[in-house]
Amino acid sequence: MPELKRLPATRIVATPAALDAAKWPDGTLALRLASDELLVTPPVANPALDDPHAIIIADAGYAGVWLPEAEALAFLERACEWELPVQRPAFAQGAVAGIAAKLWFEAGRVLLIVPAPLIADFEERMA
Amino acid sequence: MRLIVDGQPIAFDPGDTLLVAMLRADLHPTGGGCLCLGGDCPHCLATVDGVAYVRTCQVAAKPGQVVERQHQAGYPPLPETHRPGPTVIARNRHCDVVVIGAGEAGRAAAVEAEAAGKQVLVLEAKDGQEVVGIYHGPLVVARTNEGMLHVHAREEVIVATGAAEIQPVAPGSDLAGLVTARAAGQLAAAGIDLGRVVAVGTPPDGVEAAAVEGELVRFEGQGQVEAVVIRGADGREQRVECDTVSLGLGFHPRDALRRMGRDWRVRAVGDAAHESDIPPCPAAGIVCPCSGVSVEDLDFIWAQGFHELELVKRATLAGTGTCQGSVCLPYVRSFLADRGQVLQPPFTARPVTRQLTLGEIAAGAHHQATPRTALDGEHRRLGAQMERIGGWWRPWNYGHVLEEYWAVREAVSIGDVSTLGKMIVSGPDTLELLERLYPTNVATIKPGRSRYVLLLDERGYVLDDGLICKETDTRYTLTFTSGGSSHAEMWVRDWAASWGLDVRLLNQTMTLGAINVTGPLANDLLDRAGLTDRPPYMGYARGVVAGVECQVFRLSFTGELSYELHHPAQDSVRLWRALLELGADLGLKPHGIEALLKLRLEKGHIIVGQDTAFDSTPRRIAHEWAVKLSKPEFVGRQAIIRTNKLPLDKQLVGFEMDGPAPIEGAVIWHNGQFAGHVTSSTWSPVLGQAVMLGWLYFFDGELPAVVTIDNRPARRVETPFYDKEARHARA
Amino acid sequence: MNEFMEKKVQFKWHEPKKHYDVVIIGGGGHGLSTAYFLATRHGVTDVAVLERSYIGGGNSGRNTTVIRSNYGIPEAVRFYQRSVELYYQLEAETERWIMHKQKGLLWLAHTEAAVRAEVARAEINTAFGADTEYVTPKQIKEICPEIDLSGGGAWPVIGGSYHPAGSTARHDRVNWALAEGANRRGVHIHQRTAVTGLLMDGDRVTGVETTAGPISAKVVLSAVGGHVTTLAKMAGLRLPIRTHPLQAYVTNHYELTFNPIVASTSLLFYVSQTARGEMLIGAEIDRQPSYSYNSGHHFLQSCSFRAITLLPFLRNLRILRQWTGVCDMSPDYSPIMGKTGVEGFYITTGWGTWGFKAIPAGGEQMAQLIATGQTPEPIAPFSLDRFANDRTLADRGSAGTH
Repeated sequence: MPELKRLPATRIVATPAALDAAKWPDGTLALRLASDELLVTPPVANPALDDPHAIIIADAGYAGVWLPEAEALAFLERACEWELPVQRPAFAQGAVAGIAAKLWFEAGRVLLIVPAPLIADFEERMA
Repeated sequence: MRLIVDGQPIAFDPGDTLLVAMLRADLHPTGGGCLCLGGDCPHCLATVDGVAYVRTCQVAAKPGQVVERQHQAGYPPLPETHRPGPTVIARNRHCDVVVIGAGEAGRAAAVEAEAAGKQVLVLEAKDGQEVVGIYHGPLVVARTNEGMLHVHAREEVIVATGAAEIQPVAPGSDLAGLVTARAAGQLAAAGIDLGRVVAVGTPPDGVEAAAVEGELVRFEGQGQVEAVVIRGADGREQRVECDTVSLGLGFHPRDALRRMGRDWRVRAVGDAAHESDIPPCPAAGIVCPCSGVSVEDLDFIWAQGFHELELVKRATLAGTGTCQGSVCLPYVRSFLADRGQVLQPPFTARPVTRQLTLGEIAAGAHHQATPRTALDGEHRRLGAQMERIGGWWRPWNYGHVLEEYWAVREAVSIGDVSTLGKMIVSGPDTLELLERLYPTNVATIKPGRSRYVLLLDERGYVLDDGLICKETDTRYTLTFTSGGSSHAEMWVRDWAASWGLDVRLLNQTMTLGAINVTGPLANDLLDRAGLTDRPPYMGYARGVVAGVECQVFRLSFTGELSYELHHPAQDSVRLWRALLELGADLGLKPHGIEALLKLRLEKGHIIVGQDTAFDSTPRRIAHEWAVKLSKPEFVGRQAIIRTNKLPLDKQLVGFEMDGPAPIEGAVIWHNGQFAGHVTSSTWSPVLGQAVMLGWLYFFDGELPAVVTIDNRPARRVETPFYDKEARHARA
Repeated sequence: MNEFMEKKVQFKWHEPKKHYDVVIIGGGGHGLSTAYFLATRHGVTDVAVLERSYIGGGNSGRNTTVIRSNYGIPEAVRFYQRSVELYYQLEAETERWIMHKQKGLLWLAHTEAAVRAEVARAEINTAFGADTEYVTPKQIKEICPEIDLSGGGAWPVIGGSYHPAGSTARHDRVNWALAEGANRRGVHIHQRTAVTGLLMDGDRVTGVETTAGPISAKVVLSAVGGHVTTLAKMAGLRLPIRTHPLQAYVTNHYELTFNPIVASTSLLFYVSQTARGEMLIGAEIDRQPSYSYNSGHHFLQSCSFRAITLLPFLRNLRILRQWTGVCDMSPDYSPIMGKTGVEGFYITTGWGTWGFKAIPAGGEQMAQLIATGQTPEPIAPFSLDRFANDRTLADRGSAGTH
């Protein structure tokens, strides 16, 4: 059974314009949780952002697991009432098995992210 | 291949439905009534593998199936316990157009939609995809052989469910041997011997039948039909002997799905879209076989003044049985049109149209998830009794509440407070936002200091409490109660957005763990953990504790010297274990919520939600000191100014009494009159008496000094009960 | 004929008159009950009840028929206890079978906080005349052997309260018994007669405009459910009411063997068996305010899931139908009864999810108010001006379930 692990990340809240303009190193996932919020993983040190009031914190409050695409889609067909994106890569958020989740789709694999306090509940629902 | 009916094995052919299998064995599932084979009538119901009310015409026969026939008299028993069975799963599909029914009209609609480039899904009951309801979305919910299917239509749902055949209403309609015309054709095709067949109305396809013309008068026979009596156009009755009567009496649309979907993009095609045939008003017989309502009953209730279709339904119960009016509705409408000269529209169609079990519909549901802190495993390892408190799993106690309590009062203890709501606010308008949200003078909080604050709603009632901690002029941290934090977060976000203020908000509740180090030896423990540079009372600082980066808040809920260590949640376990080890010879024991509730009550600290009520103004909870009405504006200010002019009716006050603590919720009496109730109550080990908080009403403008609680006198006293000068907390 | 068919109630319908002493808007339980008590207790019979659809067609015919008085504040415990008592005598008084049946109400607790709440409920109930006791899991199992005390391993039952007076009655029968009782004494009931406006003389309400023409009256009572804010607005009143849907469903009919009413505040559902053998299951109001009568899938799915958790035998029962009513919620979860500050215009509203159980007492008290012009003491605390006067009645005992 897949195990969710805390996802070391940098969480950023800043103006939408500053987030739009920001650049991230190759191999970094920058997930736009909201117009003014990003979850960047792995963490980045001192990101350059054009917002002096940006909140930038180290964060491991989310937990995630990579699943092969077929396995993820089989689970999501049961656990997810909303329509999943078909293009790749793609980011989506919504209730998955009754838990607020974030999904990152790449060719061949999917990253499932949930709040770390709900790891136990989510793993039970994936089983 | 055999299945079991009423304890007897019977053989069946491949492809048989349960009903056909039973008819082959000359068994009628309910003993009688006109069979339709379309899932529309209640005459083929049976209990199948422990599930009652199964329409056997819609279920494929399987080897070993256990069928109990349901007879008209009496209802099936409730199962004593549930039978363990495979968990039903639910799957989700999305498409442009959902077509329900793969008959001629459904196929044509599907072809048309596909030609227009739509992604189409066709659901057909005969293929084991029984649609049970249409909901907002439109969402089509179906039961399939693989579990539940939830189909989300992007564009529309097309109902092509066809029409049901009108059933006969005449004396003797409960005999066996009656079938609809369509059913007669299907039974003959399945090789069932129908004997001598008489066809009333439209004759069946592919069945040799003697056709009779005229109005149906009655069926005759004992259990099994032996003859049908028809009145011809000349008024003369004709009796025709037979083994089976085929009834082609017309159609009414299977349009329940369309009608329940009327507010959404749902339309019907084919026979399902047609108006119902309205049969002639019956003269006698059972109209509603599910509830046993006769024409005579309808006449009676009409004469009593029940004329509305809905009232007739509710008074006779016609249409409220297992077929939900599929059989009786055309007749009841016909009857009311005859008596009242107005054809009333059909009654409301409600889900579910095809019945399914609670276990089936529940597929895919989950309980509300209950979050756990990073220390959850540690608490369980220490044998804690875990409880859902404030929406989280938290340690109620570790088995010895008094030892936990005394560790705080006399030595040192640690408690998991990771569940506290924690939010960062940053931006040029941060101070403006906080001044408008909170009733305190936020501007006077100095950097590196924190202040206890109330959060009020527009009515001036207390929503939550917590801290404001100032980092810089444009950056603050807010804390909220564990249970109130998600609501408080929305509250702050909503106001910030509606005021259009330039702020950034980040909820770091699950980012940070928090451990409260509390007790007179807290400094000794932190010394050992390497934190020697500690903030003053109500101050906060950053520091490293046992190798873990922390924000250290000095405050006190327990009444003893306390430091809250906020730290990255992934380091919680390391920090917790280090503190346990370093404090072992200082008498350190972790404390749970039960001890914490005792400790805070001795200090008179309120818990929002437990001690406060819906209408708790700062004045009522004696927290007026937390409100600065001199400020020009904050949420709740106008309401407080207005209500402050009204006489105060009740207040949250402290009580003490000898003997054991009364229950929380105990009624407070004053001279035999209701005077309020206790909100928090505990026996205080350090004070040797019971201490309480409770709501007390004013009597003639005065709060009584002595009241009766639990039939004992209790004294109203100022809080805190313990350490009134706060020497311990400020030590 | 089935044994549950209505066999006695008889209605007489009339053409609307131009004037009545009292016009009651809304032919639901509270409107009909007020008319009944006006006629039977005060001899006031020049009364018209106006109903836009058929009598009992709104929430009075959609509720889940629980009668109880285990509320959380003295004012409410006393008021609902009066209603419980009136229900007990309603069959004898009206000589109509309302299918009243005492079942006992079990209220389950799954957390320490919920246990404290049930202990407190028993305390305040006992103090003000309602019979409620705290019960242990062992006692709960004795009262209701069908309960899985482990809560499916997820929600163990750790305590609860038991309210022996908890009863049910058939909602339609209650409406009809009261309607007929009023009708027989001269009250007119006009179905399919919608109120489209209020007749005003300055600030005073003097009658109603209806789809059947204007009707003048000395007193107009709004006993409307659902669109009460719209109606009150016609009198220039802004009510602190939000309307939320409340859903419920029934299974097919089974032998009558499930005795109590079982509710869980943590899992937010309740279950009873109707006189006809259906298992009747409901939950808490939908959070989103709406006037919609549409039924929801999520409710049916989630509520079934929760119900099975505690009562596993429900798993294999087949669902017959689900439906929806709407609830007028006041900010403090208590009803609003009495004068409005607008002369000639009274109101009874805010019946949330507790309207059915209050039908007899609500009608009795409103009838006394209308007949005497004086607010009776038991409903004085429930007046509309309590919100302006900061004397709200927050009742946690009414929230939770039904």
